[in-house]
Amino acid sequence: MLNATNLKKSFDGLGVLRDISLQVNEGEVVAIIGKSGSGKSTLLRCLNNLEKVDGGTIEIDGQALVKDGVYGAPKEQRTLCLKMGYVFQNFNLFPHMNVLRNLTEAQVCVLKRDKAKAESYARELLKKVGLADRETAYPYQLSGGQQQRVAIARALAMDPEILCFDEPTSALDPLLTQEVLGVIRSLSKEKRTMIVVTHEMNFAREVADRVVFMEEGVIVAEGKPDEVFDSEKVKAFVGLGD
Amino acid sequence: MELIIKQLPIVINSLNVGFLQTLRLFFVTLLGAAPLGLVIAFGSMSRFKPLSAVTRVIVWIVRGSPLMIQLLIIYYFPGLVLHNPIWGGGESGRFWAASVAFIVNYACYFSEIYRGGIQSVPVGQIEAGKVLGMTKGQIFWRIKLMQVVKAIVPPMSNEIITLVKDTSLARIIALQEIIWAGQAFMKGSQGISGAIWPMFFTGVYYLVFNGVLTLLLGRVEKKLNYYR
Amino acid sequence: MMKKLMKVLALMMAAMMLLGSAAMAETDLEYVKAKGKLVVGITDFAPMDFKDESGAWVGFDADVAKAFAASLGVEVEFIEIEWDNKILELDSKAIDCVWNGMTLTDEVKSAMETSNAYCNNAQVVVLAADKAADFADVPSLSGLTFAVEAGSAGEAVIDALGYNKVSVTSQAAALMEVAGGTADAAVIDALMAAAMVGEGTNYANLTYTLALNSEEYGVGFRKGSDLAAALNDYFKAAYADGTLIACAEAYGVQAALIAQ
Repeated sequence: MLNATNLKKSFDGLGVLRDISLQVNEGEVVAIIGKSGSGKSTLLRCLNNLEKVDGGTIEIDGQALVKDGVYGAPKEQRTLCLKMGYVFQNFNLFPHMNVLRNLTEAQVCVLKRDKAKAESYARELLKKVGLADRETAYPYQLSGGQQQRVAIARALAMDPEILCFDEPTSALDPLLTQEVLGVIRSLSKEKRTMIVVTHEMNFAREVADRVVFMEEGVIVAEGKPDEVFDSEKVKAFVGLGD
Repeated sequence: MELIIKQLPIVINSLNVGFLQTLRLFFVTLLGAAPLGLVIAFGSMSRFKPLSAVTRVIVWIVRGSPLMIQLLIIYYFPGLVLHNPIWGGGESGRFWAASVAFIVNYACYFSEIYRGGIQSVPVGQIEAGKVLGMTKGQIFWRIKLMQVVKAIVPPMSNEIITLVKDTSLARIIALQEIIWAGQAFMKGSQGISGAIWPMFFTGVYYLVFNGVLTLLLGRVEKKLNYYR
Repeated sequence: MMKKLMKVLALMMAAMMLLGSAAMAETDLEYVKAKGKLVVGITDFAPMDFKDESGAWVGFDADVAKAFAASLGVEVEFIEIEWDNKILELDSKAIDCVWNGMTLTDEVKSAMETSNAYCNNAQVVVLAADKAADFADVPSLSGLTFAVEAGSAGEAVIDALGYNKVSVTSQAAALMEVAGGTADAAVIDALMAAAMVGEGTNYANLTYTLALNSEEYGVGFRKGSDLAAALNDYFKAAYADGTLIACAEAYGVQAALIAQ
C-alpha cells in the first residue's frame, strides 16, 4: 500500500534520513519509535509531503509521489496525498472555525462534497470520537484531548487510506493521553492502516502489528513488537525513556 | 461671547467645507492604501530576492522620512525639476498629489502590519490545510485570512486614527482641509479677522470623528473575539 | 541586474529632462498665453484679496489681476497658497505669479522677477492699548519683546534695531502672541493692522502706533519671466487712463497707491 525506498533527507548538510526504506501493508498498524532527533517525525512528514526528500522513491497505492528524488506536478502530489491522513502533535485545528466546520471545510472545498452530506458525515465521526455534543464549540473551548480527538475526526473525514499520527499524545497530560489512545485503539480494531510515531512504548507494543526503531536517521530494528522490544538497543532506549 | 455667536454660522460653514476635504483625503487614502499595502507586503515577503530587497528599501525610505517632505516632493518636484507641473495649480491637483503621497505613505505602514499579521499565522495552520489537500489559494482565503484579519485589526485601528489627524499635514501644499479653514480666520477671511477660536474648534471635529471610528473599530474587534 | 536598473533609470531621467527642456523653450508670457490662463497665487488678505458673499475673489489686487489677465487675453484663476511656499509654488509652475500685497524685500527681489512697486506700506508696532502712551518713540521700545512673522519685513526691521523677538509662523500668530501676553508687542503690515486691530475687531484691546519703516508692494513672477515687464506696461496704461485709481478708491487704498 505504501512503499518508500532509499529515502534521503538532510537539513543544512546534516543527514536526518539516511537511506530509509519502509513498507506499510493494508490493514497494518506500524509504530515508529526512537529518540528525539532520530528522524522519525521527519520520515512521517516526508511520507505526507510536508517535507521534500532529497533522494529516494515514495509510492502510494503503486503511484509515485516522488521517484528517485523527482516530484510530480503539484496537483498530482495533492491528489495522491489525499490518500494519506495526518494528525499533528499540536492538533492544528482551525481556531476561527467551530468543530463541525473544522470537519466539513476540506470535505466541501477539496472533495466537493455537498454541505449537508459533509455535515452528516462529520456528525457521525464526532460521535465515533465521543464528541457528538461539541459540534458548535470553538477549539479554544476544548481540552487538549478533545482537540486531538476532533483532529482525528477531521483527518478521517477525508477518508484516507492510511492514517498517520505524529506523536499524537506528547502535548497532553497523562489523563488526556488515555482518551486519545482509546480512539486510536478503536481505529486499529477496525483494521485501519495506520502509521504512529510515538513515545508511548506500552501503547506501541499493544496496538502495533509492527514496530520500527530508528536511530540517527536509519532503521536499526524492525519487526513484531515483542521481537523489537527484546533487542538490546531498544531495551537500552526503553530503559532510558522510562 | 456675543461676537463668537455672531461669527459662529460663518465659521461652522467654512469648517464644514474644510472637514469635507479632510474626510475625502481620509477615505481616498484608506481605499488606496489598504490594497496597495497588501501588494507591498507580498513584495517584501517575496522569495525573489531583488524584489523583496527593493520593496524593503522603499518601505524604509517612506517610513523613515517625514510625510511633510514627501508631500512637498510629490507636489513640487515634477514642476521644479522636470519642468512639467503634472498636478496643475488648482485645488483638485493639490488634492490628488496629497492623495498619492498619503496612499504611498500609509500603504507602507499597512504593509508592515499585514506582514506581521501574515507571519503570525502558525506554520502548523498551513500544514494542516496542506494535509487536507487544500491548494495554496484555499489555504490563504479559508485558513489564513481570518486569522490575519484578527491579528491586524488592533494595529490597523491605531493607524487609521492617526491617519485622521495626519491629513492636516496636507495643508503644507495648500490643501484647504479643516485646520487651514480654521486658521484662515486668524489672518482674516469673510470679514472675520483675528479670531483664534475657530482653529481650536476644529479639534471638536477630529474628536467626534475619531470617536465614531473608535466605536466602529471596537465593534469589529469585538466581533472577531468569537474565537481565540 | 543593478547595472541594468541604473541604465533604465538614467534613460528615464534623460527622457524627462528632454520633455522639460521642450517646455522651457518658450517664454513665460507665451507659456501663459498658450495655457490660456494666468494662475495667481494669493492668501486671504483683505483688502487686497478676499472673498465676497458669493465666494468669488475680490479686492484691489484681485481686481487688477483680473484686468491684467483680460489685457493678455487669458482667463484668471486664483489659488490660495501657503505663504511660506510662495517661491516653490512659482518655480514649480503651480502658480504663475504672487499677487498678494507682497512687500518688495531684497529676499523677494532676488528670488522672483518683480514688477514695479504699486502700493506703499509700513511696518507698525501693535501693543496693548492701555500701554501705548508709554511707548511713543523708537528708543522707548528697546526693552520689549516683539512677536514677528518669520521671514517677514517686520522681522527684518526688528533685527536691524537689535531688539528682542520671537519668530512665529504668521502675522496673525504674532497678534495672538500679544493678545495672549506671551509677547509685549508685534510688528506687522500697516494695512493689516488697520483691518484687524482696535475697536470693533477681535483685538479691541490692542492698538497700533509707530511706523518703523516704509516699504512697497509689488507683484512677483518666476525669475527671468517676461510677464513682469508686461505688467509694468499695463500698470502705466491703467494708471494713465484712471482705471487703477478708480479701483484703489473702491477698496479704500487710494492714499497708498504709487504713481506709475
